[in-house]
Amino acid sequence: MASAAPTMPQRRTPGWAIVGRQELRDLWLGGRGLLLGLAFSVLLSTIAYLTATNQALNFLEQRESVNLTLQVAIAVGSLLVLLAAADAVSGERERNTLETLLVTPVSRLHLTGGKLLAALSLWLAAFVITIPYVWFLGRGVGVVRDALATGIVVGTLLAVFLASLGIIVSVFASSNRVSLALSLFLLLAVFAPTQLPGSAQKGWAGELLLRVNPLTAGEHYVGKILVSGHAWSEDASWLISPIAAAAVFSVAAAIVGARFIHLGRGGS
Amino acid sequence: MTPVVETHGVGKQYGSLVALENLAFSVQAGEVLGVLGPNGAGKTTAIRVLTTILAPSSGSFSVGGIPHTRPAKIRRLVGVLPESAGYPERQTGEEYLRYFARLFGQSRASAQEVARALLAEVGLSDRRHSLIATYSRGMRQRLGIARALVNEPRVVFLDEPTLGLDPAGQRQVLSLVRRITAERGATVLLSTHLLAEVEEVCSRVLILNRGRLAAEGTVSEIARRAAAPRSARLRVAAEHVERARKTLTASAGIEQVEPGDGHLGSLIAMLDGSASPTAMNDGLRALADADVQVLAFELEGARLSDAFLAMTEEA
Repeated sequence: MASAAPTMPQRRTPGWAIVGRQELRDLWLGGRGLLLGLAFSVLLSTIAYLTATNQALNFLEQRESVNLTLQVAIAVGSLLVLLAAADAVSGERERNTLETLLVTPVSRLHLTGGKLLAALSLWLAAFVITIPYVWFLGRGVGVVRDALATGIVVGTLLAVFLASLGIIVSVFASSNRVSLALSLFLLLAVFAPTQLPGSAQKGWAGELLLRVNPLTAGEHYVGKILVSGHAWSEDASWLISPIAAAAVFSVAAAIVGARFIHLGRGGS
Repeated sequence: MTPVVETHGVGKQYGSLVALENLAFSVQAGEVLGVLGPNGAGKTTAIRVLTTILAPSSGSFSVGGIPHTRPAKIRRLVGVLPESAGYPERQTGEEYLRYFARLFGQSRASAQEVARALLAEVGLSDRRHSLIATYSRGMRQRLGIARALVNEPRVVFLDEPTLGLDPAGQRQVLSLVRRITAERGATVLLSTHLLAEVEEVCSRVLILNRGRLAAEGTVSEIARRAAAPRSARLRVAAEHVERARKTLTASAGIEQVEPGDGHLGSLIAMLDGSASPTAMNDGLRALADADVQVLAFELEGARLSDAFLAMTEEA
């Protein structure tokens, strides 16, 4: 057993990057990410097939089929991100691997950052998978570029919002099961307004509800660009809620992660 | 010599529950300190406080001269094997150690070197590319000890490192503990339930009970202080039993002599509670004078286990 002086070299790479890289390896090389990506592409293939066949029967206009496919991609991509984030801390706690991370010099803020980064990679993968579907459905009507641009902007804002929400839930949840269940419940609560009848979405109260909810506001914005053919700046106010949610929740996740990550029952 | 770990009145409370109270002790460099105590005594809490996982509710401590108010600096000086530590099943042993070496600031190249060297040291070189999922419990514990050493710590905290291991696994872990102090010069705080392993590897012992320090000292000091001999078990030649019984009964400080169970010729001499701890010496001398052949002799109540039971049951 070699003896050596306890002087360690200064860290060259920030802690969040080291944690993030390892989390990405675990997620993608461990196979979980690939499996989720495969399931996502199967789902998107089904949606694309249905919208394309409906389009052939003139039930759906081509722009609408692109919009529908993109909205499904954003919603399901965000769901994947949320599930990964909801496992981030509570999962480590349940697998008894959290304590060994907490005794390293990497701060809890950096641990949180690395895990958030890995969760977001699921959205990026989902978006990359979505590209050929959007291209196929939107070719010929000049909507592909707008669809991809709005998709990455809105999808990323919603993914950051939901990943942060998942991290916050995961930090406080008493078990991994509770974390996943609560995160899914919150996601359904955010999705609920999309299921309201069209009449309920009209009027100032209906519009307020759509605008305040980051998910409905983001999807509404995508629809305005793709289906109504509006310019990016024309309906930019619909992005306020997704931007605010991403900013507020990511800051909240950073604060919660830095201050409240704990070992759970018996361990503080 | 400046102690490498020093605590002053450290306490930890969870609401109204007192997990640790007024813990004060110090450990010198190169010592192996055994931390003993029944379940719920506060051993794990003490380790979590000293490794900065938990903030103390009261008191102060330092590790390597660094005050507890600078936890990030302390973490650079300590290595920890937590109780029932978990491992990522889908990583290989080498990936796992490399990751932790990186978290402690090593470059990629040196993290790789450290991982390989440590795996060799704990005897896992041939399994370095195997998934941790395929490791036995003993291998995982050795991997955990290797992980605790990635930052060349000055103090290593091992919380129940032999829990659930078979005797061969326990032996390997204890051998590693000895090497950590002998070859690295690191201090080890070893929390365990197994008193035999404390007697085997620890230079000093702390006994915790209900969050308080019940005793501190070397194994022999504690055994002597807390558990003066209460009885002696001896075996004499079968034809000398009656003579031995009479001789011992007549000896000062021996209250009663009873036949022991088991072998023919075994006797139990009950010592007078107020007698000197060396009362049995006189009895042995008397047996020698009476020409009784003593085949086996053991004082009961002078072992660490007796001290442990005495101290943790009294409180």
